[in-house]
Amino acid sequence: MKLLKSGRWITLVGFALLAAVYVRALAFTPVERTQGMAQKIFYLHLPAAIWTEGAMILVGVASIFFLFLKDQRIDRFAEATAEVGLVFGMLVLTTGPIWGKPIWGTWWTWDARLTLTLLLFLMYVGYLLLRGAVTDPGLRARYAAVLGICGMCLVPFVHLSVYMFRTLHPQPIVIKPSAPSLPGEMLATLGFSFLVFTVLGVGFVIQRYGLSLLRDEAEPHA
Amino acid sequence: MPENSSYMIAAYIVVAAVLVGYAILLYRRTLKP
Repeated sequence: MKLLKSGRWITLVGFALLAAVYVRALAFTPVERTQGMAQKIFYLHLPAAIWTEGAMILVGVASIFFLFLKDQRIDRFAEATAEVGLVFGMLVLTTGPIWGKPIWGTWWTWDARLTLTLLLFLMYVGYLLLRGAVTDPGLRARYAAVLGICGMCLVPFVHLSVYMFRTLHPQPIVIKPSAPSLPGEMLATLGFSFLVFTVLGVGFVIQRYGLSLLRDEAEPHA
Repeated sequence: MPENSSYMIAAYIVVAAVLVGYAILLYRRTLKP
């Protein structure tokens, strides 16, 4: 299938570029003075976090359109994006504690940002479980769309939690109203990494969409 | 070894493992959809 092949190629390009991100982050980006090498986790943690939130917004927007248009393609897109969002969420929830241990002295704390990020991750899990549990395709798509919209409503709270509550997690240093507070070299590495995560995300979503298409073609009534 | 390197290495390995693992999972699912 052409779609799956394209997705695979984009993913392969994404992995080649990810290797370049690793080289750039480790060898050509300065070491931060207070955090040392642990700060370099930032170049993977932040792009994954942006796409964990971004994917849920895409799922929510697609869900709204689905409820109006009832187009199966939109439902497939939401399903594919949710699964990829779950993978990025997994990255955030693993790299975060690994970074937190040397800097905060703890793997995990129940502060607002961390707890809401976990809740967002559980939203993805719930969304995909719901899709697996409902057999009727019409109902499945409609229920999932409602949950997808609820998930999207959670995203602003995740992002703004560091302003709304006293948290251990630092406030945004890139996605904020004022200019990013990062030196140029670090910002360039972060930008490159974000681009690569985008390429990987697009490759994954195309492949996952193709899989749903194959499933729907194999079961025309499903 | 510079300070905190082990944490950084662990995070970089985890990210690569999760992403490659998911790519393999997707590929295997295309073989038997």
